[in-house]
Amino acid sequence: MKRKNAVAFAAVCAGLSLLTACGSGSSGSSGGSSSSGGAPSYNAGNNSVVNPSTKAGGTLNYGLSGVPDSTDPGSTYYAYMWNFSRLYARPLLTFKSAPGTDGLKLIPGLATGMGKVSSDGLTWTYTIQSGLKFEDGSAITTKDVKYAIERSTNYSPGILPNGPTYFQQYLTDPTYPGAFKDTTPDKLGLKGVDTPNDTTIVFHLQHPFADFDYLVTSPQTAPVPQAKDTGTKYQEHPISSGPYMFSSYDPNKGFTLVKNPNWTQASDPNDKQLVNTINVAFNVQAADLDSRLLNGSMDIDLDGTGVQTAARARILGNKTLQTKADDAVSGFLWYAALNTQVAPLNNVDCRKAIEYAVNKTTQQTAYGGPIAGGDIGTTVMPPTVVGYQKADQYSFIAQPNGDVAKAKSELQKCGQPNGFSVNISARGDRPKEVSAAQGIQEALAGIGVKAQIQQYPSGSNFSTYAGVPNFVHQHDLGIIMGGWAADWPDGFGFLSQISDGRAIKAAGNSNLQEENNPQLNQLLDKATQSPDASARNKIYAQIDQILMSDAVILPEVYAKSLLYRNPNTTNVFVTEAYGMYDYTQIGKSQ
Amino acid sequence: MITFIVRRLFGAVLMLLVVSMVTFAVFFLVPRIAGQTTDQLATQYVGRNPNPTEVHAMEVKLGLDQPIYVQYGRFLKNIVAGEDFDTGTGIVHCPPPCFGYSFKNQQEVWPQMLSALPVTGSLALGAAVIWLISGVGIGVLSALRRGTVFDRAAMSVALAGVSLPIFFTALLSLAIFRDSIPLFPDAGNYISITVDPGKWAEALVLPWVTLAFLYAALYARLTRAGMLETMNEDFIRTARAKGLSERKVVVKHGLRATLTPIITIFGLDLGLLVGGAVLTESAFSLPGLGRFAVNAINNQDLPEILGVTMLAGFFVVAANLIVDVLYAVVDPRVRF
Amino acid sequence: MAAPLEPLDLASPTSEPGSGEPGGGKAIQGRSLTEIAWTRLKRDRWALAGAVVVVLFVVVAIASVFLKSAGVLDISTYHTDLIDHNTDKPLGFFGGISLSHPFGVDPQYGRDMLSRVLVGSEYSLLIAFTATIISVVIGVVMGVVAGYFGGWVDTVINWLMNVFLAFPLLLFAIALTGVVQTTNSAFGLSGDALHIVVLVFVIGFFNWPYIGRIIRGQTLSLREREFVDAARSLGARGFYVLWHELLPNLVGPILVYATLLIPTNILFEAALDFLGVGLKLPTPSWGAMLADAVTNQYYSIDPEYILVPGLAIFISVMAFNLFGDGLRDALDPRSH
Repeated sequence: MKRKNAVAFAAVCAGLSLLTACGSGSSGSSGGSSSSGGAPSYNAGNNSVVNPSTKAGGTLNYGLSGVPDSTDPGSTYYAYMWNFSRLYARPLLTFKSAPGTDGLKLIPGLATGMGKVSSDGLTWTYTIQSGLKFEDGSAITTKDVKYAIERSTNYSPGILPNGPTYFQQYLTDPTYPGAFKDTTPDKLGLKGVDTPNDTTIVFHLQHPFADFDYLVTSPQTAPVPQAKDTGTKYQEHPISSGPYMFSSYDPNKGFTLVKNPNWTQASDPNDKQLVNTINVAFNVQAADLDSRLLNGSMDIDLDGTGVQTAARARILGNKTLQTKADDAVSGFLWYAALNTQVAPLNNVDCRKAIEYAVNKTTQQTAYGGPIAGGDIGTTVMPPTVVGYQKADQYSFIAQPNGDVAKAKSELQKCGQPNGFSVNISARGDRPKEVSAAQGIQEALAGIGVKAQIQQYPSGSNFSTYAGVPNFVHQHDLGIIMGGWAADWPDGFGFLSQISDGRAIKAAGNSNLQEENNPQLNQLLDKATQSPDASARNKIYAQIDQILMSDAVILPEVYAKSLLYRNPNTTNVFVTEAYGMYDYTQIGKSQ
Repeated sequence: MITFIVRRLFGAVLMLLVVSMVTFAVFFLVPRIAGQTTDQLATQYVGRNPNPTEVHAMEVKLGLDQPIYVQYGRFLKNIVAGEDFDTGTGIVHCPPPCFGYSFKNQQEVWPQMLSALPVTGSLALGAAVIWLISGVGIGVLSALRRGTVFDRAAMSVALAGVSLPIFFTALLSLAIFRDSIPLFPDAGNYISITVDPGKWAEALVLPWVTLAFLYAALYARLTRAGMLETMNEDFIRTARAKGLSERKVVVKHGLRATLTPIITIFGLDLGLLVGGAVLTESAFSLPGLGRFAVNAINNQDLPEILGVTMLAGFFVVAANLIVDVLYAVVDPRVRF
Repeated sequence: MAAPLEPLDLASPTSEPGSGEPGGGKAIQGRSLTEIAWTRLKRDRWALAGAVVVVLFVVVAIASVFLKSAGVLDISTYHTDLIDHNTDKPLGFFGGISLSHPFGVDPQYGRDMLSRVLVGSEYSLLIAFTATIISVVIGVVMGVVAGYFGGWVDTVINWLMNVFLAFPLLLFAIALTGVVQTTNSAFGLSGDALHIVVLVFVIGFFNWPYIGRIIRGQTLSLREREFVDAARSLGARGFYVLWHELLPNLVGPILVYATLLIPTNILFEAALDFLGVGLKLPTPSWGAMLADAVTNQYYSIDPEYILVPGLAIFISVMAFNLFGDGLRDALDPRSH
């Protein structure tokens, strides 16, 4: 699954009326910033640090309703892992740990400053701090960073399959066989990365790429000591470069972190080392996890996508509980992809019929209503992504319950006046997604379109079912439910994988609607090459409009997550970089 | 006696082999019947953005492209002789019994099962003690006080117990005893007994009681019926006629005859339970074999599925064997 | 989920004379087993109550088919105006009870609960009944053949039963139903129909050894009876004896265990729904609704949503159990 949260780049609170995250919620005490004194209030964590404290000690208990794809920093693609792994795997650059838009600023991690780009845009150079140490006292050098990239999914997908592959796409030497098959004596054979000395690292790109600084915030740039690398077993105990290190690991039960004695605050002013022990428990049933949060036996839900239905109802119905919750903007778009290769959806008017027919309010309710679900989406990019421009081609806001008349006239236009049959695919273990699919089914029935819902397990949904175009064609999955967030905070990061025709893959496909519009593809290329930010933003807005007029995406909700924080936790706030609490800061007051 | 045991052992091993063959066949064939190609099967283990070469490489590594008898043969060989696995940085050897490496997270299957076993074991044994004592006790008392208020009340509660879905009672107990009245705030939060016996017990009390409630109800009914039947037998009348005290009649003669079949059933139930109390573990989020199995099936992780099925089958077969031997020892009518 | 294993002893002679008849000079009529059983059953108030409820549920299930197509019962229309959008709770008292919705509405969508629970009886009962029939048919055939013919036939069938019992039933059920979930259509069926067929097959096919064992035991004792010898001495051969002598005497226990197997299957289907591999919403099966309510912990915000399907399952299962118990007591000469 793609990263679940985008970095919200634009000023979240600056007059974008579609967002209610920073205004008051529709019930309960007023949101907005609360001062650091006094009891925290509802949504306090969105714009301020809740319970700021320097008190050290205690145990932090995280719960997770599944298992991570991997704890190996080279092989993970979940937003919460990118956030959390900074505790033991420091990347070159990272995001500032601060609430509000401040949290979107890039700051140095291992590096001493932002990357220096050459005039032709093909070389990026970084310098790292000297004197940094791994958990075992050995020195961290840029060679460890290079090795980390070589062993990651980019070049060694057979051993470490789960992470992103942006480096392989953008760096020179794309056919490097990976660290495990590297025949050079020091296993540093990747030509796309140079390490002239222990503190300098140089990246060579195939084409200019203005966003490269964002790429190196990925955990794949966290250093890995080659002598201690154990391949598939590394996930059991990654060698730490951050404030905490592994003390135990069980792939079905969870893991425990303890303080790393070889980490210094001076070398890492951003992170905090407060609690003595951090426990992460896997496979806690979702609603049960919420109960444990509410009764205090667990502190934070690591997944960071919000509480389930019952807990939400309890929280929103109880003023006291509500002061412990934050309705965070997650940067996610929930949407339905309308596949262009499955008849009769190959006809754009049939797709438009669906855009008009669906009841947007029902979809919003399915995902949790205005507070826990989010606002009705009218564009592909959510408002928190750079390049967003307000638009509403099919009048979702004016007609939130759908427009049956227009839908029927589109049906006429596409030659299916009596409706047709179509299949909807959804992930069976995600109740909200299934609810939303049912909503679509019901709305389509109203215009004579018979829809059947096919459910697939989320773990293999994109690798085996909805993300495999052949499967989609064979099983007539005309409507595919999904969600998307950018891998980094701007329009390109959001749009490229889901709209570029050349990004359509035989398996693990993210361009679910199989959109392949040559004009769109060209615009994407143009954007990466233009060094001017405002020019890029205009292009992103244009691409968004094309996607909507091609009716290949039915946006449903700009997602929000209702997060709950245990009142004994300190330094809690939402980082807009990941759309959830910043896990590098949290401590315990008792 | 020895030949009896040896013969049964042989039969047990044969049965395990058959179980493994059928399991393998089912999990091998069913996805294919459902229309999945080997490529698709391999894709789900290659992460998010695989290209065809990577998919094929994973196929070969996992042996998915081999015909079924080759894959099965490899599986058998691994159990007995262990397997070599390429971690990238070297070859590790997984010693016998080796159930292979998980397709999904590439960890050895056997240690994962071993780690889940104490959880299921704690759950099963704790509940077993409770249900055996309470279920049989109530059943005996009910039989002896047949027709009284106690009997009716006990049997009604027992009937209710077997009529409720266990996941319902499980979550109800959590709602009441963990969330509303925080009697057991850490229920379901399993801690090993070696780390903290107090928390271990606290985590397991509600699962024990929920599981035991269902089985106690069953056993109470069974025991009552058996006791009633036994107390009508001729040898009981003889014992009474001989002038033995009622207590001696009941305990020394009646109970023994009643309990023998109960113990048989108990052994089988326990064997099945250790193979994975799936529902209870899912309801309480306990990291035992049952939950491990469900996750393995959802991930179509063949080595894990085979491992847990074999382990569960082993417990059932072992329980069968022990019970048969015990029965032969206890009941003089059974000839070897 | 142990099925009832209490043996029903037919082999002992019915020692009761015609009971309750006025004495005096009338000739005492011998009564057949069926008549005795029927009289006893009529006197057992709990069993009758169970029977009445069972019949009621069956009638409701059949009626709901017609009511649904006539539009009186509406299981799918959303009434989102009756729902609080932020919390998904139904507005109003106890789940939104009103004149038009006597059982309230379900959370999030506002569908009528009364219709859904009535229509749900179709699914739960249909699956339980047909699965039971499959188990009984296979179990009886295997049990009778094993018990009557003995020898190597018996050994093979016995071994087969042990193998089936060694399989972790729930795991196979999960695997098979889980994989089929992802197929659009197979065997010419699709959607709900396909899921139901697979569920019925899985539940029915794996449960036959329980009945098989019991019937085998009964057959073993029956075949030594005099009437069998008599028939044989008259020249009757295998199948004739089976069909005309043994089977009529087995009808009793078959009925009893079939009746007791049905509630087990209702609960089993609910369990599969809880694990996510049975019927899923929006299909209004009781198990699916209860599983939804329990998994999402709706009890804390809308207890009615758990109570309605929960009670439906509970009452129907209890009723079958009561009736089955009563049947068994009525047929067992020594339980009075």
